[in-house]
Amino acid sequence: MNTPPSLRPSTPASSSGRHRIEVQGLSSGYHGKKVLDDVSFTIDEPGIYVVLGPNGAGKTTLFRTLAGVLEPYAGRIEIDGTDSRGSVASPHLQYLSHIDGFPDGLKVDEGLQFYAQVQGVSERDVERVVHLLGLEELRDKFFSELSQGQRKRASIARIFLQERGIYLLDEPTSNLDPKLAREIRDLVLGLSQNDLVLYSSHNLFEAKEIGKYVLALKGGRVGYFGRLSDLRPKKYVIGIRATGAEGVLSASTKKGDYYLQELAGPEEVPKLVQELTAKGVLIREVKEMENPLEDLFA
Amino acid sequence: MGKHPGAGFDATFPLEIPVFAVLGSIGGLITFTSDRTKGVFEYLLAYGVRPRNLFINGLLATAAMSGIILGVALSVGIGLAVDRGVSLNQAFWEALAYYTVPMALAGAFVTSTAGMIWASISTPRTGINGPIGLAPTIGITPTILVLIAAEAAPSSDYYYITGGASLSLILVALALLALSAKLLSRERFLSNI
Repeated sequence: MNTPPSLRPSTPASSSGRHRIEVQGLSSGYHGKKVLDDVSFTIDEPGIYVVLGPNGAGKTTLFRTLAGVLEPYAGRIEIDGTDSRGSVASPHLQYLSHIDGFPDGLKVDEGLQFYAQVQGVSERDVERVVHLLGLEELRDKFFSELSQGQRKRASIARIFLQERGIYLLDEPTSNLDPKLAREIRDLVLGLSQNDLVLYSSHNLFEAKEIGKYVLALKGGRVGYFGRLSDLRPKKYVIGIRATGAEGVLSASTKKGDYYLQELAGPEEVPKLVQELTAKGVLIREVKEMENPLEDLFA
Repeated sequence: MGKHPGAGFDATFPLEIPVFAVLGSIGGLITFTSDRTKGVFEYLLAYGVRPRNLFINGLLATAAMSGIILGVALSVGIGLAVDRGVSLNQAFWEALAYYTVPMALAGAFVTSTAGMIWASISTPRTGINGPIGLAPTIGITPTILVLIAAEAAPSSDYYYITGGASLSLILVALALLALSAKLLSRERFLSNI
């Protein structure tokens, strides 16, 4: 994938500046059955807001309702000050569903042209996203001929056709190989410098790596909403990979190459490292073994 | 109105064409269900396209496809008849005007509307109990019944059978159109929920 000088499209739809999503008492679902119930939050600081939750918690329903694809049963959504009902707020948003959404019988290039037309952007923007996502070799292939990962890549290209300030990305890296997933995460991190990005994922390591805030859904309600850095695991466990530690850390549980040590918090790590080094242990790596996000699923 | 057609080409041809036109409408329905399943509608809704416009576009695709079949069938059938010296009386042309064309378009409309509503009110299904399996049966049944009834009934009833069927199917199409606005809410355009 080529790295372009800029992610910015030639035809931005929304004015630059701070963006805002305000959700108050939102209930939504399908055929009268509630999936989300009384969900409220406000986000206006640029960054990646990781949306987490077990299957059926309401992540996709939340994205669909924010995007205006679903009408809420109750409550209010304001996107940059505009009520989102009936997709009125769509010019402020870019939406990536977990489904590819390319019409049958179209080549990748034709599919992107189709969505460029829908978004009212130029052919230049299609060229730009083709290079941005490294789709040069795929553009003349039929969408049905692509692998799962290639489809996802073509599908993601659509959200870069036009800058819209708010990005709703439902599992953008599912089905992608690690290299491409990394490239997509880097692109999304680029967006998050100035824009609001809601990003759902089942990969907690990915979530921890890129998230600034966490919105955890549980049974259709907000289970946690706050800074990821404020989350602390119930236990603080570190793994130490070292040589010469057999006698010193023999009482520790071992997980693979790592000796596990439970500490009161990260502030105890330098002291422990100092002690081990003084005892002749050659420390090669120290890492946190618990992901605080796992506790949100408990 | 001219004398009713006899039992030959001029009587049966106007009754057979709607069957093919209804079959032609399946293409529009396949496109609709495919776009729904593939998530195309979900994106279009997110980009601000209204559900009603998605439905109307589905109907236009159906009308275009069955219109092509209707045009080709009429051109080829009448062309061959004229070429072979079959005399086409006034009643034949009247039957085309009040039965064949309206019945073909209304039948295609009923097929596609029933299919779209069916696709939208059920979870995605395939096979004979899915929209593509069932909707053409709904659309073709009236045209086949008319074909059989017109053959079996006295020829003096030809106008009552064809005219009555044509009017009835148009009324059914209008009723479905009114119903569709109520049934086709946003979540019904989504692929898997």
